[in-house]
Formats: sequence, C-alpha cells, structure tokens
Amino acid sequence: MLRLIKDIDIKFMAIRRMPIFISSILLIICLASIVIKGFNFGIDFSSGYIVQLKFDKQISIVNIENKFSESNIEDVTVQLYGSSKDVLIKLKDEEIFKKNNINNFLNDIFSDESFTISKLEYVGAQVGSELREKGEWAMLIALFSILIYVAIRFELIYGLGAITALIHDVIITLGVFSLFELTFDLSVLAAILAVIGYSLNDSIVVFDRIRENNIILRKLSILDVLDKSINQTLSRTLVTSLTTLLVIISLLIFGGDAVKNFSIAMFIGIIVGTYSSIFVASTSLSYFGIQRPEDS
Amino acid sequence: MPRYPLWKYILVLLVMIYAVIYTLPNFYETYPSINVTNYENRDLSKVELTKLIEDKSISYLGVDGRSIFFKSIDDQLSAYNKLSSDQKFKYTLSNYNQIPKWLHAINAQPVSLGLDLKGGVHFLLQIDTENVRKSRANQLETNLRNFLIDNGIRYSNVINDNNEVKFVLINKNINATTLDALSDTFSDYDVSLLEEGEQKNIVARLSEESFADDVKASMTKNLAILRSRVDELGVSQPIIQRQGKDRIIVQLPGLQDSTRAKNILGSTATLEFRLTKGSPDDWTASETIGTNTVSESILYRHKNGSPILLSRNVIASGKDIEGANSGFDSQTNQPAVFVNLSSFGASKMLETTSRNIGNTMAVVFVEQDKSEIINVATIREAFSKRFQITGIDMQEAKDLAILLRSGSLSAPMSIIEERTVGPSLGSENIISGRDSMILGMILVILFMFIYYKNFGLVANLALIANILIITATLSLFQATLTLSGIAGIVLTVGMAVDANVLIYERIREELFNGNSPNASIVSGYNKAFSTISDANITTLIAAIALLTIGTGVVKGFAVTLVIGILSSMFTAIIGTRAIISIIYENKTNKGLSI
Repeated sequence: MLRLIKDIDIKFMAIRRMPIFISSILLIICLASIVIKGFNFGIDFSSGYIVQLKFDKQISIVNIENKFSESNIEDVTVQLYGSSKDVLIKLKDEEIFKKNNINNFLNDIFSDESFTISKLEYVGAQVGSELREKGEWAMLIALFSILIYVAIRFELIYGLGAITALIHDVIITLGVFSLFELTFDLSVLAAILAVIGYSLNDSIVVFDRIRENNIILRKLSILDVLDKSINQTLSRTLVTSLTTLLVIISLLIFGGDAVKNFSIAMFIGIIVGTYSSIFVASTSLSYFGIQRPEDS
Repeated sequence: MPRYPLWKYILVLLVMIYAVIYTLPNFYETYPSINVTNYENRDLSKVELTKLIEDKSISYLGVDGRSIFFKSIDDQLSAYNKLSSDQKFKYTLSNYNQIPKWLHAINAQPVSLGLDLKGGVHFLLQIDTENVRKSRANQLETNLRNFLIDNGIRYSNVINDNNEVKFVLINKNINATTLDALSDTFSDYDVSLLEEGEQKNIVARLSEESFADDVKASMTKNLAILRSRVDELGVSQPIIQRQGKDRIIVQLPGLQDSTRAKNILGSTATLEFRLTKGSPDDWTASETIGTNTVSESILYRHKNGSPILLSRNVIASGKDIEGANSGFDSQTNQPAVFVNLSSFGASKMLETTSRNIGNTMAVVFVEQDKSEIINVATIREAFSKRFQITGIDMQEAKDLAILLRSGSLSAPMSIIEERTVGPSLGSENIISGRDSMILGMILVILFMFIYYKNFGLVANLALIANILIITATLSLFQATLTLSGIAGIVLTVGMAVDANVLIYERIREELFNGNSPNASIVSGYNKAFSTISDANITTLIAAIALLTIGTGVVKGFAVTLVIGILSSMFTAIIGTRAIISIIYENKTNKGLSI
C-alpha cells in the first residue's frame, strides 16, 4: 500500500512554540498590511465600471486613454486583455454617466472604431457598501454559528480552538491579498468562506480523534493524546489537502480570469488551513488549558 | 461481516436512477432559436413557418413546433432582425433542444445557465423615492390650496419642503366647521393649525405610512411598465422581479448589447405638444438678452441647437397618448411615430388646432431634467386624435413608440448595478468551466486510484455519482448554474473524496492493528461516521452563511457547495459501502486492495 506518511510520530506538543512563533509573525505582518495598505477592492465593493471591449482592429492603449482624457475623464485604467484587440477598462462612477449612459458614451468616443462590449459590470456606491456589509455579516455569522455548533457537539474549549484556527486562516488569506494588492471582490469573499468551511473540516477531524482517544487511551497525558491524534489523522489531512489543491490548480490553469481571484484565495486558504489544522487548532487547545475528562 | 441491508441497496439504486435520468437532458445539444406565434399567442403550422423563413432566404437548421432553430447565435440574430422588421408575428429569441417527450413529461430539463455562461444583461434598478415624496407633496400643496380658496381662507405664503407643506394665513380667525372639514378632507395627512403668536399657519405633513404606500404603488406601476417595455425587446424568458421595497431586478438572457435596453428601460421620456410663441427674431433676441421677449413663454432648444420660444400651456402630453407605432411617413418616407390621443387629449388638440391654423406647433421630447424640441410644424388643418411625428431617425422612432405605448414611469428609476456578459464571452466561460472540471477530475481520479487501488476506484465511482447527483439536482430545481457554481462543483470534486479518504484511512489503521479485512471495513465505516457528519455539518454552516449574502457570484457557488456536501456524504457513507459490500461481503478476504 502506498502511503504519504509512514508510521511517524511527530512530537507536535514539544515543538509547539515554533508554530506559535511563525504564526504570530505572519499574523503581525498580515494585520499590519491590512491596516496600513488596506485592500485593492474590486468594483463589487468599491463601485465603478469594468468594461471589456472587443475591437475589430488592433488598438493602442494610449489611443484609448487619449479619448477618455479628451472627454475630461482622467481616472481610468486601460489594459490589453488576452489579445491586442481586447481591452479592459476600469472607470469610476463619473457624473457624466448619469446623464448619458456609459454605452452611449463609449459609442460616442469610439465612433470611428468598430467594437462590441464583451463584458460590462457596474456597481453603484450604495450597492457596493451593502455588499461589503453583507459580506462582513456573513463572515461573523459563519464564525459564530460554528463556535456554537462545536461547543455543543464537543465542548466550549474545542469551539474556541476551532475559531482560533479559523481567524488565523482568514487573517492570513486576507493579508496575502492586501500585501500583494490582489483584487478583492465578491468571489474572493466566497472563497474565504469556503476556506472557513474547509479548514474547519480539518480541525474537526483532529478534534474528533482527540475526543475518541481521550476515552480509549486513558494512560496517556493530555499532551500525548493531542500528539497522537494529530499523527493519526495526519495522512488523511494531507491526502484531502492534496486532492483539493489538485482541483484548485486545474481551476487556475483552465478557469480563466473570471475565477482567477477565487482560485488564488482558495489556494492560499487551503495551504494555510492545512497548516493551521495541524499546528494551530490543537496547539491552541493546549494553551486554552484542555483537561482530560474526569475518569468516571 | 454483517449483511448490508437491502433497503440501502435499493436507496442507492433509486438515487442513481434519479441522478442519471435528470442529468440526461444536458446531453442533448441546445440550439439558438426563434419562437414564432401570432398575436393571439397561437402557433403557426409547420408549412407556414417554413415558408416564412424560406421567403427571407435565411439559413436555418430546422423547424419544430413554434421554434425555428439555427446553427449559431449569429444566424439566429440576423434572422431575428430580418423577421422582426415585418411585425406580422410575435418573435422571441429562445433556445431549442430535441429532448424526448418522456423526459419532458417528468419535468427533466437541462440545467438553466446563468447570464455569465449564456450571455445577457442583469440590471438592478432603484426607484427614486425622493421623487415620489416630491410629487406627493406637490399634490398635497395643490389640493390644500384649492381647499383654502374654496373656503375663503386667504394666505400670504406657501412653504413646501417636500415633507411638510405650510400655508401662512392672512385670516386671523378660522371657524371650527372649516377646521373639521379640513381634517376630514385630508385624513391621510397630519393636518394641524399652528399658532405662532398672532400668526396662524396650516401645516400638513405626509405620514410615513402613506409615503410607504405611495412608494409601493409606484413600484407596482413601474413593474408593469417595465414588463411591457421588456416584452418589446424580444428577449426569451426575461426575469422582472421586485427586490425589497424599492428595487427591481431585470434579467435579459441572450441580449447582445445593453445599450438599447438601458435607453429604454430606465427612460422617463415623454412628449409634450406646445404652440410656438413669437417670431424667429424674438427667439434669437431672447437668447442673447437672457430674458424672454414674449410674455407667457418658455425658452426651449431645438435638437439642432437653435432657440425657440414655446407657450407655457401644454396642449397634450405623454399621459394623453393611448397608442403609438413607428413607421414611415407616406409622403416623405421619413421615419415617423404615429400617435393616438385619448378622447380628452383629442378634444384639447382639436380645440387648439382649429383656432391656430397657420401657426406652428412644437413636439418637445422631455426626459427627466432635459427637454428638447424634436419637430416644429405648421398647423395646416385642424386635427384631433391621430397624427404623426417626424424629425427622428428609425431607431429613435421605434424606441419612442415603445416608450409612449408603455406609458411613462410613475417615478424615475436608475440602474444601480449592471452585469452584462456578451454571448461569446459566455461560451468561453462554459469552456473554461468544463475544461477545469475535466482536468480536476482526471487528476483526482488518478491520484485516488494510485493511492487506494481498488478502494480508490470505488471512491472514483462515488465521485462520478456525485457529479451526476449535483447536475441532476440543479436540473430538477432549475437552479441557475453560474461560472462560480462550476467552481463550486470543481471544489466539490476535491472535497468529495474526503469522506472516502477518512473511511479508508480508518480501515488502514484497523488493518495495521491486526484486525481482519472484513472487520476492518465494518469498523472503518462505523468509526469514520461521526467524524464525517461533524466535519460536513460545520462546512454546511459556512456554506449556508454564504447563501445569506445571496448575491450572484456567491449564491451560485454556495448552492452547488451545499448540494455537493450533502451528496458527497450520501455517496461516501451509503453508496461506496454498498459497492464494497457487494465485493467483499460473502468472502473471507485475505487482504484488501487499499
């Protein structure tokens, strides 16, 4: 039989300071970046226009930028998108588009070119802030309901351990997006909630083992139980992460630009989530002062 | 090894039959089509339909029922343009597939694709509630003014801040019967007599409830108007839906370009007919001086930019128009809109035109805060109900006729969100979704086989079953599949094997501990059960939190994720167990291929 992990017995609890140290540094960097740099919000949250145009002939970016500045629109980014005929244009919510809608405006300024609109997205300021608010709520509700479920199904301390690992994963994934100025849109938010579910899944598997071992391995100390449970579930954790990463990679290769941000967020989240379910979730249980259940 | 209960085998079999049958419709190719019916909504005969299309020499694949279907969207659209110009029948863009009747009978349909996959336009419109408030306040002001005049109460000033209307009175004494009549007549409002020292004022205020009712009524009216406007765009299966108190969602699948839809849907455009005042010399003079040289006049501009003075009195306007059609002027062959006035409008028009033969009348195009004259013509003879308007191009004539027919929105609506995806990008998205799913499945299937051998093959069967169950469920409930939904399915492919991984790892442990193969299978499944359910329920909680955000991208993903989690639990716990039981149950096994 083929095995990723062969009869290993890593003393996770003996080295538990190391992951705490690594995670703390990562968290500080990520939080600092989130606070100082903030996010590169996509239009879902920041409002504005994204227009993807397909021209019949090749067109230069400078030419397009000039046409916008001739109409007194300076806050515009233009980039080629895939080919020299496809152009992606990002615009703020300009006053002028209220009077004459953007389609008519584009037809006017590109009146001597022939083009079709491949994609047009517009999010108004009010919708943008509503989406952001809804997203924040969804994240909080998810974390809170998970805490309650785990606390009922296991014990409160496990709930706290799970939440610690989840907050850790969310902050690091958000941090990477902030640090590298990756576009943060609705799909990334969806990915982060999926990561919450995924990482939790991993932590629960370990916790379930801890609970089981607490009953059958009565001679071991609590730290040994934690160690043994992590080791026992290690190969499952890695196999599942691997299969999930395989599909994320195929999304990154073939999924196209529409799911690119989503896939990047999932990719980071799954790696961080795997790390946290091995090193953070159970370690935090020991710091929260997990006890062996009373022998009865 | 205890016998695996028969009912579980039957359950697995039933679920798989369901999954296969409801996935089937997705394998029939779908073609772009045009549905043709006459205006009584009856189908044409096959011969008529064929003749219709042959006459126009349009390339097509075939006809069936009310549909003519085509090889490509380009063919479909060029056919649509050629056909719809004659206006003999009702044409709608649609999709056609040759799904057998028995599948239709059990409501098995292909998955309904989201706008990002098939192309189309999504708008979120918001009603201008301030405008509703303003028009209600103005109405209140007029009514109150009339009441005061009728009752001989004089006032010196009116203050209207769109929320509260205040009449500053000259009269010092108002008798009690008038006050009672006042509160009776305006029972919908909070009306009171306010005394500031010697000064008496009548203050009327809109109650929040009646304002909410107004918004509701405006929404209902706008919804109906939007429906009739969308009907004119020739889109198949449009969605027009109220969202919340003051918003409307409009989805137009298959629409190539949002330009026309935008110009029509949110338009508050209407027409006004007014007599001109003064001579062209007065018009230029008024513009240069900055004040009107002719009394009772307003300065307007012609489309070409020249100034024209028009009478303050409106002869007729959009609300007096009952019907409108676009066409061509019989003499000049210019594009024109033929207008039908209501009897009230017609009598006013007759009265004005008969008194003003030889004078000129202007047609003013009014849209929110801009108005321009589209045509000025000399009144040659008196007319009343029917007349035509020229001075616009064909497209403008068509759009104007639609707007006049549907009536004007009772309050302006603005687009606060738009997502438009062109059909070619839509099909690119389908290809990306399909390719990433195929690659993902190949990778996972290979890995599972290499790592878990025969047991891996069983897990792979479960994986395929999962995809079928998800597709079938999406098809059955006609949940919309978006690109993010496909991402959700791809992700499920990766996570679906997890339940099997948990079980197999447990079986391996049992084997290492020296248990017999059959006992290992049983305890592997049993011990993994609580872990699988705990882990999946918590993931389900996160997925349901996702559903509460409820908007496009996120919702599509969350729906497939929820279905995926449930079906992967089923296939892993009950499905693979059934297959493993069939293979191993009645033998004493020496070892397991795991």
